[in-house]
Amino acid sequence: MDRKVALGVCFIFGLVMFAQYFSQHPAARSVNQAILEYWQIIFAFTLLVGVVSVFKNNVVQIRRGQDRSYRLITLAGLVAMPFLALIWGIKADTPFMWTFENIQAPMQSTVFALLAFFVASASFRGFRARSVPAAILLLSALIILLSRSAVGTFIFPQMTEVADWIRHYPSMSARRAILIGIGLGSLTTSMRVILGIERTWLGGGK
Amino acid sequence: MKNIETRHWTFLGLFVCIGLVMLIDVKLDIPVSAQTRKMYDFIDTLPAGSVLMVSFDHEASSLPEIRPIGLAILRHTFSKGHRLIGVALLAEGTVIGYRLMLKTAAEYGREYGKDYVYLGFKPQYIAAILSMGESIPRTFPRDYLGRPYEQFALLREVDNYDDITAVISITDGSLTTHWMEYGGARYGVRVLSGMTAAMVTTFDPYVASGQMHSLVAGLRGAAEYERLINREGGGERGMLAQTTAHLYVIGLVLLGNVIYFRSRRKRKPG
Amino acid sequence: MSDPATIIAGLLTLAILSFLYRDNPIYKMAESLLIGVSIGYTLVIVWTSTLMDLLFKPLFSDGQYALVLPLVLGLLMFGRFLAKTSSLSRIPIAVMIGSGAGVAIPVMLEARTLKQMSATVTPLITESGFPDVSAIVVIVGVLTTLSYFYFSREHKGALGTSAKIGTYFLMIFFGATFGYTVMSRMSTFIGRMEFLMTEFLHLGG
Repeated sequence: MDRKVALGVCFIFGLVMFAQYFSQHPAARSVNQAILEYWQIIFAFTLLVGVVSVFKNNVVQIRRGQDRSYRLITLAGLVAMPFLALIWGIKADTPFMWTFENIQAPMQSTVFALLAFFVASASFRGFRARSVPAAILLLSALIILLSRSAVGTFIFPQMTEVADWIRHYPSMSARRAILIGIGLGSLTTSMRVILGIERTWLGGGK
Repeated sequence: MKNIETRHWTFLGLFVCIGLVMLIDVKLDIPVSAQTRKMYDFIDTLPAGSVLMVSFDHEASSLPEIRPIGLAILRHTFSKGHRLIGVALLAEGTVIGYRLMLKTAAEYGREYGKDYVYLGFKPQYIAAILSMGESIPRTFPRDYLGRPYEQFALLREVDNYDDITAVISITDGSLTTHWMEYGGARYGVRVLSGMTAAMVTTFDPYVASGQMHSLVAGLRGAAEYERLINREGGGERGMLAQTTAHLYVIGLVLLGNVIYFRSRRKRKPG
Repeated sequence: MSDPATIIAGLLTLAILSFLYRDNPIYKMAESLLIGVSIGYTLVIVWTSTLMDLLFKPLFSDGQYALVLPLVLGLLMFGRFLAKTSSLSRIPIAVMIGSGAGVAIPVMLEARTLKQMSATVTPLITESGFPDVSAIVVIVGVLTTLSYFYFSREHKGALGTSAKIGTYFLMIFFGATFGYTVMSRMSTFIGRMEFLMTEFLHLGG
């Protein structure tokens, strides 16, 4: 029963949002605006659910004694940010802003920076011209890398023009084909979701 | 020492190369590419006082690369007397965008509320983009600090995308796609973008089809833009290190392939 | 001497970089702190920007009682935490999924498919009568790459040849993407190195 109700709701909202695209009538635009607001509010609640879920899982793991110190640190961070925002606000030069700029942002960008090392290591260990397609991939990558460095034009004066041509024509055409394929696939999937043929989003259970 | 593997040597090599190069203060001559110039020319030739929306659609993880791009673009727009509305469609971009706008606005003596306003974040970016097409005040009834929309002189003139010349999406992912597809296709929004280099090939078809007006990509793009506005912001400084890093990776690729082909030849009988 | 903020940021940066040697308690502590702070940050931003701005203030201060509906739908999401009520959370999910699918149909068709197709169809012969090699490359690239993704028939004969050429175009794309990705990752690392060397350790030019 619940699944049928959910499928019905999905159908109605899907149809309404699809239909309003073709109408400039004030009533249609009003309905459109309202549904978009509902969508954002519900999405905010899903994020809240996620936060509560993380909190719950960490508390359970702490009770079980698994990685207790790490999970306590996670919970401390999770609780600290709303506390700081509540007491001092979220303006510039508040503790909330300070924590973001000096704890979260540096760590987050460093985690991403680790990828530079793994890319370098993968370049040495995995990037082999084993076949014609692999050799083409390698050559394309090398041309781009050389053209984006300052020495590319010393090796070959037209390096930048060649790299730009590769990017704007053959590379772009492959990406365009992928986009067209994704577009057609998304189109059919959206129709299947609205019509209730695609039901994986319902999850398991009754 | 027995815990040191091959990958650790490649890591160390990268660390040493970049570390040594960063001790040298050398500026490289970076020619400005046509694509960077296109964005620069667009912003440069707009009538003073044009209203632009800047959307901080990125996370803190890409900050070292995206910040110089954002700085250069904001400095250019403020220096030309354009008015800016800042929004963020990713939560982490919210605080970064707020800080960046305050900083660059102060450099040019711009007044909050009259020359720029920061509206903050709204989740579910597709809904936010579509909603702003109908009504920006309904999407953002208050600014980032909770003050009413109508309080600001700049915002009283702006109801939806029809009142905005263009949207500049500063991104490290594919969110700009939604600006073009939902904002551009539905409401005719003109979209420009500053992005990380990794995303460039993703957006090339959109530039080619005209759905994206122009883009500035990566630290190199930031360096080129800084050259055009004649103001340093972190892009140019990193160019020597960037060149070194590229040569290091190229060297590793070539070395790896030489080792591979030599070992393959040894394994072949006769 | 650096200020406390720089010292803290520097130490946390080094803690994350220690992962390059191997997973260790210092890295794990930093990672745990990052996870907690990130989630707390997102909670604050979502609460202030959306729930207060779009729901609670309009509903309780401005008397927009129609917003009771999204409030109820949002609260239904919490049904997931109990087995008996977990199926109720399907309804707000259905609202989001249905709305997303509905707006996606015209957009995917127009912006992602038709516009890209029309941009592919450009003159192949220039005004001077010579072939436009770049335009020919684009149309060949798009068609052959699309043929590679056509799996309803076996890739044999003409289709097989076309798919093979499409593979080569894909390899050019992946190679270019790899090159730009290397550039991007190196930029991020260079930014962190610059912070460590100039602001944290006071070295460098």
